[in-house]
Amino acid sequence: MLKSNNHFSLKALVAAVSATVALGVVALPTLSHADETACSPFTPLIKGQEDLVYVWTLGVEGVGDGSDKLVTVDVRPGSKTFGKVINSLSVGGRGEAHHMGFSDDRRYMWAGALDSNKMFVFDIGTDPSKPKLINTITDIVEKTGYVGPHTFYALPGRMMIQALSNTKDHGGVTGIAIYSNDGKYISKHDMPTTQLGGAGVTGDGYGYDLGINPQKNVLLTSSFTGWNNYMMDFGKMVKDPDAMKHFGNTMAIWNLKTMEPMKVFDVPGAPLEIRWSLKKGDNWAVTATALTSKLYVIKQDNKGEWQSYDVGTIGNPADIPLPVDISITADGKGLWANTMLEGMTRFYDFSNPMKPKEVYSKKIGSQVNMVSQSWDGKRVYFTTSLLANWDKKGKDDEQFLKMYKWNGKKLTHVFTIDFYKEKLGRAHHMKFQALNLNTLQPLAATQSQDLEKLSLALTGPKEK
Amino acid sequence: MKVIRSFRWLSLASVLSCLSAAVHADTPVSLATPLGLPPLVIPASNPLTQEKIDLGRRLFMDRRLSHNNTQSCGMCHVPEQGFTSHELGSAVGIEGRSHRRNSPTIFNVGYQHSLFVDGREPHLEDQIWGPLLTRNEMDMPAIGYVVEKVRQLPEYKGMFEAAFNGPVTAERLGQALASYERTLISGNSRFDRWYFGGEKNALNAMEQRGFQVFMGKGRCVTCHSMGEKSALFTDHKFHNTGLGWERTMFPERTSYRVQLAPNVFVNVNAQHLKSFEPPMPDVGRYEITFNPKDSWAYKTPMLRNVELTSPYMHDGSLQTLEEVVDFYDKGGIDNPEKSPLIVRLNLTPDEKTALVAFLKSLTGDNVPALVRDARTAPENLPLLDVDPSDTFMNQVNARLP
Repeated sequence: MLKSNNHFSLKALVAAVSATVALGVVALPTLSHADETACSPFTPLIKGQEDLVYVWTLGVEGVGDGSDKLVTVDVRPGSKTFGKVINSLSVGGRGEAHHMGFSDDRRYMWAGALDSNKMFVFDIGTDPSKPKLINTITDIVEKTGYVGPHTFYALPGRMMIQALSNTKDHGGVTGIAIYSNDGKYISKHDMPTTQLGGAGVTGDGYGYDLGINPQKNVLLTSSFTGWNNYMMDFGKMVKDPDAMKHFGNTMAIWNLKTMEPMKVFDVPGAPLEIRWSLKKGDNWAVTATALTSKLYVIKQDNKGEWQSYDVGTIGNPADIPLPVDISITADGKGLWANTMLEGMTRFYDFSNPMKPKEVYSKKIGSQVNMVSQSWDGKRVYFTTSLLANWDKKGKDDEQFLKMYKWNGKKLTHVFTIDFYKEKLGRAHHMKFQALNLNTLQPLAATQSQDLEKLSLALTGPKEK
Repeated sequence: MKVIRSFRWLSLASVLSCLSAAVHADTPVSLATPLGLPPLVIPASNPLTQEKIDLGRRLFMDRRLSHNNTQSCGMCHVPEQGFTSHELGSAVGIEGRSHRRNSPTIFNVGYQHSLFVDGREPHLEDQIWGPLLTRNEMDMPAIGYVVEKVRQLPEYKGMFEAAFNGPVTAERLGQALASYERTLISGNSRFDRWYFGGEKNALNAMEQRGFQVFMGKGRCVTCHSMGEKSALFTDHKFHNTGLGWERTMFPERTSYRVQLAPNVFVNVNAQHLKSFEPPMPDVGRYEITFNPKDSWAYKTPMLRNVELTSPYMHDGSLQTLEEVVDFYDKGGIDNPEKSPLIVRLNLTPDEKTALVAFLKSLTGDNVPALVRDARTAPENLPLLDVDPSDTFMNQVNARLP
């Protein structure tokens, strides 16, 4: 399966980063992304029609087998099973299933559980329509002291994993773990807790998402909260003043090659998903803050210094609409933003990232979390679950996957799969897959002539 | 051993070196009594030994003692956070399940006459089975499951034999954990040195004024009792202050002031939160005795190290000592079973400030040492590959003819 030669993989990373830097944005179209926004730029992409949607689904006591599971949905136009569940693979137990990420070759998919701290590796290459669980990694806590493996982000030959919490106090101080493709721990990197970069902002040590801009050799990270809060009933938490003091209020930009944080930004109110615009010439990323309901852009100023900018508000912050997932269009000119408590999605014109404009909104359900769009932006998928204990209770606890068509002006409903009616559970993270992996867009930056001159701290590995 | 030596108030009757983990030894430990505290009574059925303390400390910090390996005793009783949790009003258990009450500190727990804020457990040796088996705490499926799991964890190999001259049992688990918890003695505070030790300058003038308020106009000492030679600052009794009554009888508000970020607050309409879990009722001591007079009565907490053990009250609903003083200054919350001892105080702002200053003088001198000692036990150890009940059944089946 997976490449186990770390030396080779590290060279590939160096090659990828350096070639990307060397080639500049000319080679970058393969790195721009739609749903692939959340993918690493080192993962090959589906630029045509997606065939399958995987949904990482939380088990619910009393619903079916009650287990966390990977659900596969057929989305091939004209298929007899279009819009139907064609496979369900239970992994056993309820561990707070959350996010997934592809390996660098898209033949494997890692999926994490924020409570049990298990990381499941599925073979999605041999038969993409029938994923097979080939490895369950259980040592991230033992190796790192981190809790809550959240974001899975491919590097050549490796998986970078952003955690959310720690084993000392279940608070938000945490870090990044790096594993080899064959599931072996390599290194850990604590989130910054000092003042860095001259902005006068002290890192809070919290983590959430991460995203790489290889042209700039930077890694951007955001910050959420620890196990104590993400596992707690949302209503109980909001009413608990002590709990509400413990959210992340920073983002950090790192030197990717050395894995050294360079600057900490003040981004108050739990900045979550990170999406880089990789359109030719762009040098910015966007995030939404869950609590303060803001859109922030992290951008280089005209001196090349990275800065954070508050560029807009989502809904009415006093109602805590709870912005959650965002999805950027392939050309970087549009952004979907979901608000969990409202059950709304909004589309923003991002032609000018410093002045985004809300141009469309639609209620998707009683609650909505994730949004994923196809490469051409014409198909948009939504799921409902945020966290088991942050989802609404009773009749408002709708759990579904919905597909819409987007014509640039409005969403048109295509199908809904009710995850409770299907006895599946809570529908959370989505990833697309193609049945024919030969159609995947190959990695852009795979050549380098000068590997040895690059000093990459990860080759150490350098553990902090 | 070196950890124990670091406690100035601990002495060892003997020291054994090069002790094999599998060889039984009773290395007796005598806890010296710090200034301000009474001698600790150790049950004759569970004499303190170094082996039991070491074993209990390891069990206390081991997350594998919960059903899904995520919760140890130390995750709710965080050593660096006053052996409680500063981040939560009321606790959160396995799979994020809600708890009604705040995690109480376990400083000086060996002096408690009863355990839990409703006093339902008389014995420290038996107390562990509450959190271990309760569904919204550590959720272990059965007593035997716990015993079998610990037996199969390789890190405990030989430790029970060394401490008890026999294998792990339910009783020995309780004895080991109780032994460690009894070492969490904390006294010799600045107040102790001033009041019991005669150090005139150990408290400043404001703290001394605060003590006068504590003893007089503030009426605090009525429940937070003191003796002539020592002070636990509790009467070990249960009182209705009105807080629990209000939380249960009028649980919902029309809006909540919510912090979104540092210095960013909004008032959230309760309607926006109606889709989530409602507050959980709690009738306090009544749930144990079924005596209506005990409705919404909770145990008087000790005050030692109180500056380190926020948030306060049985449900963690008050965040600061200033809020606690304000609550009692107003005479608590009137209700039919409110304790007659809780009355309006009419303290001046200076008196309140002094009272809080006094309370902050009750911090023991060994807290960092207790924290360091707790952290000598690992919290992250490898998980079992196979469920312990499956392993047990396989072993039983293998023995069958």
